[in-house]
Amino acid sequence: MENIIEINGLNKRFGDVQAIKDLSFRVKKGELFAFLGVNGAGKSTTINIMCGQLAADSGSVLICGDDIRRSDEVKTRLGVVFQSSVLDSALTVYDNLESRAALYGITGKNFRKRLDELSNLLKFEDLLKHAVGKLSGGQRRRIDIARALLHRPEILVLDEPTTGLDPQTRSILWSVVSKLRKDENLTVFLTTHYMEEAADADYVVIIDAGEISAEGTPLELKNKYTGDFITIYGISEEEAKKLGCKYDTIRDAYRVSVPDTAAATALILKYPEIFNDYEITKGKMDEVFLSVTGKKLTGGDEI
Amino acid sequence: MITAAILIKRNIKLFFKDKGMFFTSLVTPVILLLLYSTFLGNVYKQSFSAAIPQGFAMKEDIMDALVGGQLVSSILAVSCVTVAFCSNFVSVQDKANGTAKDLRMSPVKPWTLSVGYYFSAFISTLLICVTAALVCLLYLAAVGWYLSAADVLCILLDVLLLTVFGTSLSSVITFFLSTQGQISAVGAIISAGYGFICGAYMPVSQFSEGIRKAVMFLPGTYGTSLLRNHTLNGALTELESAGFPDGAVKAIADTVDLNLYFSGEKVGTGAMYAVLGGSAAAIAVIYVIMNIFKRKRV
Repeated sequence: MENIIEINGLNKRFGDVQAIKDLSFRVKKGELFAFLGVNGAGKSTTINIMCGQLAADSGSVLICGDDIRRSDEVKTRLGVVFQSSVLDSALTVYDNLESRAALYGITGKNFRKRLDELSNLLKFEDLLKHAVGKLSGGQRRRIDIARALLHRPEILVLDEPTTGLDPQTRSILWSVVSKLRKDENLTVFLTTHYMEEAADADYVVIIDAGEISAEGTPLELKNKYTGDFITIYGISEEEAKKLGCKYDTIRDAYRVSVPDTAAATALILKYPEIFNDYEITKGKMDEVFLSVTGKKLTGGDEI
Repeated sequence: MITAAILIKRNIKLFFKDKGMFFTSLVTPVILLLLYSTFLGNVYKQSFSAAIPQGFAMKEDIMDALVGGQLVSSILAVSCVTVAFCSNFVSVQDKANGTAKDLRMSPVKPWTLSVGYYFSAFISTLLICVTAALVCLLYLAAVGWYLSAADVLCILLDVLLLTVFGTSLSSVITFFLSTQGQISAVGAIISAGYGFICGAYMPVSQFSEGIRKAVMFLPGTYGTSLLRNHTLNGALTELESAGFPDGAVKAIADTVDLNLYFSGEKVGTGAMYAVLGGSAAAIAVIYVIMNIFKRKRV
C-alpha cells in the first residue's frame, strides 16, 4: 500500500516547550490510523501542522506526495472533524453546509447533489432547516462529519470524534466511517480517548511528550506491551492456584495472566483437566497505553 | 466569485441572526435618540432661539426642522461607523470560536475570506443605515420638511460614503482582534468615543481650539458636516427667505458645523467629499495591503 501521509522529522516549539520532537511516521492509503496520546502530548499540534494551520519549526509533511507548504491542493484531500464543532450555531444546517461547500467551489446543483448524498448517508434529511445551535450533540456531530466529507476528501481526520457522544451516535459514526473506507478507500486519521476504537485501527502510534513512544498494529502492540489472559470457568481457587500464575477472581471465573499465547498453550497442555471451559484473550489497548506511557486514558482525561 | 458571494451571504445572515450583535449596533442611535428627546433637543432649541436677531421670529416648524436635522445627521454620522464595527465583528467571532480555522482548512484564498467579510459588513451596514436614513427622513417630514430632492439624494450619498469609510476603518481595526474581550472593548470605545470625535454628540465648533484643530484631521468630522449640510440647508435657506440676516444664518451654520474651517480656511463640500471618499479609499487600500502581506501560517 502506498503512503498517503508522510511525516518526516517534525519539530515544533512553543516558547520553552518542545511540543513535538523529531516526529516521523507514515500513514498508508485506506487504513484506519490511530494517533494516541494524553492531553498535551502533541496530537493537536501535529494535526494542526498536517492541516496547514500551524508552521513547523523543521521537518516536512507530505500528503499524497505533496508538501503541504507548497500546495494548497493538499487541502482538498483532507477533511477534518474537530474536537469541538466549529459550525455556525445561529445558521441552519443547510446554510452551514452551503457556505462550507462553497469554499471548495461546490455550489448550485453540485452542492445540492452532494448534500442529498450526505444527508442520506448520515441521516439528517429532516435537520436541514434546523439551526445547528439547537441540535443535540449527536446530531451536531453528524453535521460536522458531513461538513468534513463535502469535498470527498481522501483523508478524514477525526480529532476525538466520539468524546461525549451516546453509544447510538458513536455506532452510527463508525458505521458511516466503515462504509466510506470500504466504498471509497477513505483513509482515516483518528485521535481518540476510547481505546476500544483504537483497537480496531490498522496501525497505532502512541506519542508522549511530543515523541513516539510506541507504534505498530494493535496486535503487535498487545503482544509487545501486554500479556494474554485465560479466563477459566467452573474451577476452584485451588485449581487456579495450581497453575502457578497471577490470577484475578471474577464473578464466575478466574482470570489468569500469562506472558503470551505460547505460555497459555503450555499451561493448557500441562493441566488439561482444569481447562474444560475457558477463553484466551489478548491484553487491551488500555493496558498497552498504560504500559507505554505510564498513564491511563479515560474518556477525555488522563490519570 | 460565487464562493465570495456565498460567504457574503453567510456573514450577513450571521450578523442579523446574532441578536446580541445586531442590537449592540443599534445602541448608539438609541442613545442619541434618548439624549435628544430628554434634554439635548431643548438645549439646541434654546441655542437656536438665542441666535435669532431681535425683531425676528422663527417659525416653529423651521425650529423643529433645525433641531431634527441636527439629531438626524448625528444619528446617521455615528451609526454608519458603529454599525460597520458591529457588522465586522463577525470576522472576530470567527477567530474567537474557531470557525476561522475551519474556513482556512479549505483551499479558499485568504483574500476571498477578507472580501467576504468586507462586503458583508458593508452591505449589512448599508441596509441598516439606509433604513435608518429613511426613518429619519420620515421623522423630518413629521417635524418640518425643508429638504429638496437633491438634499435627500446627498444624504443618501453621505450615508453611502460614510458606510464605506466605516467599513474600511472597522476592517482594518478588527483585522488585529481575535477574542470576545477585544470585541467588547473596541465596541465600547467606538460607541462611546466616535460620536465625540466626529462632532456628532457635540458640534466641533464648541470644542476647545486644540481639540478642534485635532479633529479637523479626522475624516469622520467631514462626514458629519456633510450630513449636517444636507439635513439643515433647506431650513437655513428658508430662514434666509424669511429675511433673516446673512450674519445670523451664518452664525447658526457655524455653530452646528455646517461650516468647517481648516487653518482658518472654510472647507467646501467638494473638499469634504474628497477627504471622506479619499480616506475611505486609502483605508480600504491599507486593508488590501494588510491582507496581501498577512503572514502565511505555513
